[in-house]
Amino acid sequence: MATSDKKLIRELEQILGKQGVLYQPQDLMLYEYDGSVEHARPDYVVFPRSTRDVVEIVRLANRYQVPMVGRGAGTGLSGGALARQGGIVLVFSRMNRILELDLENQRAVVQPGVVNLDLTRAVEHAGLYFAPDPSSQKSCTIGGNVAENAGGPHTLAYGVTANHVTGLELVLPEGDVIRVGGKTVEAPGYDLPGLLVGSEGTLAIITEITVKLSRLPEAVKTLLGVYDSVDDATETVVEITARGITPAACEMLDGWTLRAVEDYVHAGFPRDSAAVLLLEVEGLREAVEVHAAEISDVGVIPRTKLPATLRRIDEIGKSFGFQVGNIFHAGDGNLHPIILFDQRDLEQFARAVATANEIMKFCLEMGGALTGEHGVGMEKNELMPLMFTPADLDLMQRVRGAFNPSGLLNPGKLFPFGKGCGEIRVRPMPVSANAPGVSA
Amino acid sequence: MSSSPTLAVARLAELVGEGHVITEPTELAGYEVDGLQPAAVARPGTAEAVAEVVRFAAAEKLAVMATGGRTKLRIGAPPRGYDLALDVSRMNRVLAYDPGDLTLGVEAGIRFADLDRVLAEKGQFLPLSPAFADQATVGGIVATNSSTPLRHAYGSTRDYMLGMEFVTGEGNPVKSGGRVVKNVTGYDLHKLMIGALGTLGVITRVNFRTFPLPHAQGTFLASCESAAAALALCRAIARSPLQPRLVEVVEPQAAQILSGGRATLPAGCWSVVVAAAGEPGVVERHGAELARMAQGTHAGAFAGLADKEESALLGCIREFPKHVMEFCPAATIFRISVLPTQMELLLEHARQVAERSQFTWAALVRASGIVFVALLPTAAAPLDGETLRRLAQAATELIRASSVPEIGGRPMIEWCPLELKREVNVWGPVRDDLALMQRLKKVFDPQDIFSPGRFVGGI
Ligand SMILES: Cc1cc2nc3c(=O)[nH]c(=O)nc-3n(C[C@H](O)[C@H](O)[C@H](O)COP(=O)(O)OP(=O)(O)OC[C@H]3O[C@@H](n4cnc5c(N)ncnc54)[C@H](O)[C@@H]3O)c2cc1C
Repeated sequence: MATSDKKLIRELEQILGKQGVLYQPQDLMLYEYDGSVEHARPDYVVFPRSTRDVVEIVRLANRYQVPMVGRGAGTGLSGGALARQGGIVLVFSRMNRILELDLENQRAVVQPGVVNLDLTRAVEHAGLYFAPDPSSQKSCTIGGNVAENAGGPHTLAYGVTANHVTGLELVLPEGDVIRVGGKTVEAPGYDLPGLLVGSEGTLAIITEITVKLSRLPEAVKTLLGVYDSVDDATETVVEITARGITPAACEMLDGWTLRAVEDYVHAGFPRDSAAVLLLEVEGLREAVEVHAAEISDVGVIPRTKLPATLRRIDEIGKSFGFQVGNIFHAGDGNLHPIILFDQRDLEQFARAVATANEIMKFCLEMGGALTGEHGVGMEKNELMPLMFTPADLDLMQRVRGAFNPSGLLNPGKLFPFGKGCGEIRVRPMPVSANAPGVSA
Repeated sequence: MSSSPTLAVARLAELVGEGHVITEPTELAGYEVDGLQPAAVARPGTAEAVAEVVRFAAAEKLAVMATGGRTKLRIGAPPRGYDLALDVSRMNRVLAYDPGDLTLGVEAGIRFADLDRVLAEKGQFLPLSPAFADQATVGGIVATNSSTPLRHAYGSTRDYMLGMEFVTGEGNPVKSGGRVVKNVTGYDLHKLMIGALGTLGVITRVNFRTFPLPHAQGTFLASCESAAAALALCRAIARSPLQPRLVEVVEPQAAQILSGGRATLPAGCWSVVVAAAGEPGVVERHGAELARMAQGTHAGAFAGLADKEESALLGCIREFPKHVMEFCPAATIFRISVLPTQMELLLEHARQVAERSQFTWAALVRASGIVFVALLPTAAAPLDGETLRRLAQAATELIRASSVPEIGGRPMIEWCPLELKREVNVWGPVRDDLALMQRLKKVFDPQDIFSPGRFVGGI
């Protein structure tokens, strides 16, 4: 850990007050991890209250040449919010106001620290909601959703975060405040909001977000399908798609995962089944009835790559000596293989990372993508060359340079560092904090 | 072109193949952009050949414009230079189509109409639905962000485009995004290419998510006495649980123009057009609820259209700019993005501007947030000085009026006579994000060879 600079602390406190700056090791510890398996301790943690505060912090960071990293709720699964090279972490928990609700035009303007579900709660009285629904929506922030382009079970029907953002206020890494997009559906010029959403906090700090609000459906029906094999479940999904039905959500749990869930929450899943499908159809009553009936009598016809992919993932896991559980957004083919390991055991940890990499390589060979919704961050950055050529990566890196020329904003993320995966820094976890399990 | 045109042409022929370089003056005329003609047209057949041509052009410092169906070359500001047209229409293949996964990858030069047929065979479609649909290619549709009435239900191109391959100004073939429905790996550079008018790169491949064709469709029409009544109806639809495919308002003059193009619309009315799709029960429900809503807002009742009338009307709405320009070659068509609550005020401003400048005007409203306003000078092109002065004045006023804070619109002039482009910035007011756009342009096209000057802020 780099040492903190007393002068910088004093200057930060002048902007934010003593309650707005943390620098003691015991305080910093809380910010050295997120939802991923990575760790990195910041040197300072600050809590801006306004765009003005952010600008001043950014100017200071430039003057002192220390890195800065934005952080929402820290639920990210790729180490995006970690200060990989130390420096200042800007936490947006005090910028959590909904600035404007324009219900008639179905828009909301929010600060980045607003929790995803809080926005829906603020507008559901008017029959509206914020559509992106990551499973972490009770705690993750809209700023984090924008940075990671988060999706959720209902992405199949309603799209990822990018489809619901029309405008942003940015603080560029050198301190300029710029607005891109707005409340209207389009604006002449390059689609800068489209570029910024999903840029994993590496291009600019986002201080205000204008989002679309969607209308709650009139009817919702949830269906549970129970299967003797994973293949049967996935092939059912293919058949539903072929019939021209787009369920609003379509989640699959394999036998191992559903038993784990059943043990924990007693949801009533049949413990002896090999897989379950959870399907939701929604919309007008007339559509919901027809689609629910049709899904119920779907036969089984094998077609795409999904079943084969799942079988191969299982084999890869076994070859490394791991049980791999699968839960996934089946409708859009977004897999979440879960490798079970004990993070305290360094040998096991390295083997788990190797397993994850092997699975990723295989998915890429099948024409898939590295990450469907969790971002690249510092977890998959070394795998980027598997998906992109040097020319692709060079262009992306130069785009980064156009926004972030000094590289002070969120360094060490997204792009390959030139280090092997085996070198990922691990610190043994204290026993009490141990949480086995990691999502690849 | 370079000091030795013959040499350059010979080199191009090596790169794209004998017989795929055009230098015939009569043929070059078909590639004209705002009064400029290229010295040559190269028609590469592969992405690698595109890259080679671009590398050649970069070395020779040639101004290059990519072309497809050549239906939208008039959009944008007049270019600063134009040496070479890079015509990608030979690249017209479907490269990957997996109906089960709802994913599609096509070469940029494929015509929308041809692609639509391929998809229809599998019971699917893309919600692009552009103007000039017969000739328009996918690359051109994306590069001009061609507006589609289906945006109401499906969003815009960026919402169903999964990824892209393109060639940068240095001649590097690159890709961004992917081929799968969910993918957040790396920066979404392909989104920057939408509506960029080819200023960042030459699009060679586009990947889309496809959609199943609905089992049933129905279109309903209500006639209203005023813009206010028509827009109130649209807002009532937005508040209801209905999920129409499209909701459009056709202003009376526009109705008259479209009626010339085979659509049957009642004369003298503001027509609200609503298309519903999905299960037959869903379509019926739309019909019933729309009829009830119309009563509540004093609009003429909604009536369902017969199949033939329906496809004629929807076709005419899609081809709105084409019909307007056939009716009035000097038409100046504004595309203004605006929130639904501000549309009435915007239309009132448009009416006043037209009245003051003594032009007939027409309008089409896309209820999801876009208003097209056309000013219709009756004079023949090229416009005489007096008409041009009036038109420039009116255009400036309308751009200003639609951008004021009370309206908050984002205007641009999509179609207009060349003479007007020399008087008025067709891209509307410059904003503080221009500096970022200029920096991006430098990254993608450091030598400024792609469509120089045609884009926002002189990019
Ligand atoms: C149990 C669980 C379930 C999950 N389920 C899903 C799911 O279904 N779908 C899904 O997509 N993800 C899911 N996630 C991942 C995670 O919740 C999302 O990525 C979420 O969007 C992160 O939000 P956050 O506020 O926690 O951001 P953080 O983790 O704090 O930060 C994420 C990234 O955003 C950047 N950032 C944050 N705020 C700003 C800002 N104001 N300006 C610039 N950059 C900023 C950070 O620098 C970092 O790179 C899940 C995570 C957990 C733990």
